[in-house]
Amino acid sequence: MTVLITGSALHTCFGDQNATFTALLAGRSGVAELTGIDPAKLNVAHGYPIEVPGEHRMFRAGHWLTGCVASALAAAGVDPARQRVAAVVGTGLRELWAVERSAVGRVGADQLDFRDAVSRAAPAIHDVLTVSNACSAAGHALALAQDLVELGEADAVVVGGADAMTESMLVMIGRVADEPATQVRPFDVDRAGVLLGDGAAAVVVTAEDPARGPGPGRPLARLLATGLSCDASHETAPDVAGICRAMRDGLDRAGRRPAEVDLVLAHGTGTARNDPAEASALHEVFGDHRPLVTAIKGAVGHTSGGSALASLVMAIACQRTGIVFPVVGLRRPCPEAGALRLVSGAPQPATVRLAQVNSFGFGGVNAVSLIEALP
Amino acid sequence: MTAVRSWSVHLPGVDQAVLGLPGDPLGPAVPPERAHELLGRKGLLYKDEATRLALCAVHRALGRGPAEPRPAGPADPATAVVVSSNLGNVAVVRDIVGTVRAGRGRDVSPMQAPNASSNVIASTTAIWFRFGGPNLMICSGATGGLDAVATAVLLLRARRAARVVVVGVEPADPVAQCLHRNRAGGTADRPLRAAAACLVLERSAEAGPTLGTVGSFDPAVDPAAGPVIGPAKCAEPDSVVLDPRERIGDTFGAAGVLGVAVAAALMTENPGWTVVAGDPVAGWRRVRLGVTR
Repeated sequence: MTVLITGSALHTCFGDQNATFTALLAGRSGVAELTGIDPAKLNVAHGYPIEVPGEHRMFRAGHWLTGCVASALAAAGVDPARQRVAAVVGTGLRELWAVERSAVGRVGADQLDFRDAVSRAAPAIHDVLTVSNACSAAGHALALAQDLVELGEADAVVVGGADAMTESMLVMIGRVADEPATQVRPFDVDRAGVLLGDGAAAVVVTAEDPARGPGPGRPLARLLATGLSCDASHETAPDVAGICRAMRDGLDRAGRRPAEVDLVLAHGTGTARNDPAEASALHEVFGDHRPLVTAIKGAVGHTSGGSALASLVMAIACQRTGIVFPVVGLRRPCPEAGALRLVSGAPQPATVRLAQVNSFGFGGVNAVSLIEALP
Repeated sequence: MTAVRSWSVHLPGVDQAVLGLPGDPLGPAVPPERAHELLGRKGLLYKDEATRLALCAVHRALGRGPAEPRPAGPADPATAVVVSSNLGNVAVVRDIVGTVRAGRGRDVSPMQAPNASSNVIASTTAIWFRFGGPNLMICSGATGGLDAVATAVLLLRARRAARVVVVGVEPADPVAQCLHRNRAGGTADRPLRAAAACLVLERSAEAGPTLGTVGSFDPAVDPAAGPVIGPAKCAEPDSVVLDPRERIGDTFGAAGVLGVAVAAALMTENPGWTVVAGDPVAGWRRVRLGVTR
């Protein structure tokens, strides 16, 4: 049994999913100077922030997630009071910003996960799993959501991804950069490293089972599978073999061949390490087949744990419009990516039936999702 | 069905007999700063407290000898790792921010970078013991330990792994203690206890020793019938109750894994334990451990 994606929502520095897709098609970057930090101390000056009203400053990720969960459930027509609905939320940074900023004694351990954020949007959902799997967290959440639906543990699962940039992660980005990056340039020869983006996303996954009758919402795409692997080789550096295992696991579970993939939403962080490793893995898995490749992080930054879901929502938009947005920030491909069919400069019309969404995280945790367009 | 093949606990400063557990052949649990006595010296530099405790628990559950060298060779893609911890990296995160405020980013060691990520315990476990299967870090609050066990069962049922190493772990550094004390649903008389527990789970259809079988999970809305590991109020009157929180303190995100480990150890005394984890705010979750057949 495969499952359907019946609702989606996205919140990035550009706004909602329509605003984000429009910005991607226009090749716009949401990069901005960060306020409230000391660039000289951190060696980071830019990011892709979402401006937030004062009362939600402390728990921003949860605030955005609540909005996305409510929108996605409404779009899917799923009522958690009438169906068995679980939630799986992927996050890299949880609400650690509050731990960094508050006086010791002002924050409780129960405020670090996203149970409350989901409850505010859907009080009838009691089963909320917070998966903190770094930059591929939402990809891992998608895998578990499909398993829960396929094995009959839930009628529907709302999958969330949310992260607000933290100072400790900005420090680490500044610590490994020679010169602070001013924009994320995935697969570019002059890429200077990654910058963080704020954001959240949610999709609703429901069973596709003719015996159960038509699904509640008008489905957006079919989620075929998500492949998972762990490099088990290095805490921070990606590993081509581990990435290839996740891609092949995804294709195997989906029952599809590499040659059937039309579009790859690359992880594309614009770092010295990720982009060559990802390009090598794509070459190794796809061989002579050359699907279109694009990526979102040049436009919306690295939205950490939510980034896989943001890519997935934008991949669905490509499938439904027949237009693939370019890699914002890409001017001249790095040598390792030279043979990839990167969409660059302008949007490209394309029939995208099968799309692959890559996400790789710190610790070598890889998740690769495959979604198929509905007729 | 899912079989518990092996269990361990690593509870520094606790005589595990207070939980009714037999002594471990590797001796009492060493504190994190002495983890090298169990794990060997190489590779522990810059590893945080929770990661060290987790590695010790896995080392014990795998039946490895004292300071036995780490496994070498390719990672096993059929073994997955699921870890539950809520407070593993909070001290590191505060430490990094404090260092920058007192100086600048360059004062933070790049060796700290992985430790800022909430999933460092799960990924380090995979790297240390060469586990290449799905690798998940669960940070779900008080039910997290049982959420991790349920996730492991899901990975086995979905055929994403043939074996899952499940770990529940919390440190008890001052930042962790503070966050734990301030949480809604907590009580002042049950302070945070540094603890790690590990389970090795496989499908029970495969050959191997079965210490217990993991049943289905449900919200603990009514008292459980039969013996309970967890709060007395989650059990029927006159039931046998073993509440680890009353005996050693609150192990928070580790509690569900610890509870299942204790149940697996005590199956011969009292088959059919129900393990309950959670708190009044996050809610309760429970699972029944069946007898070996």
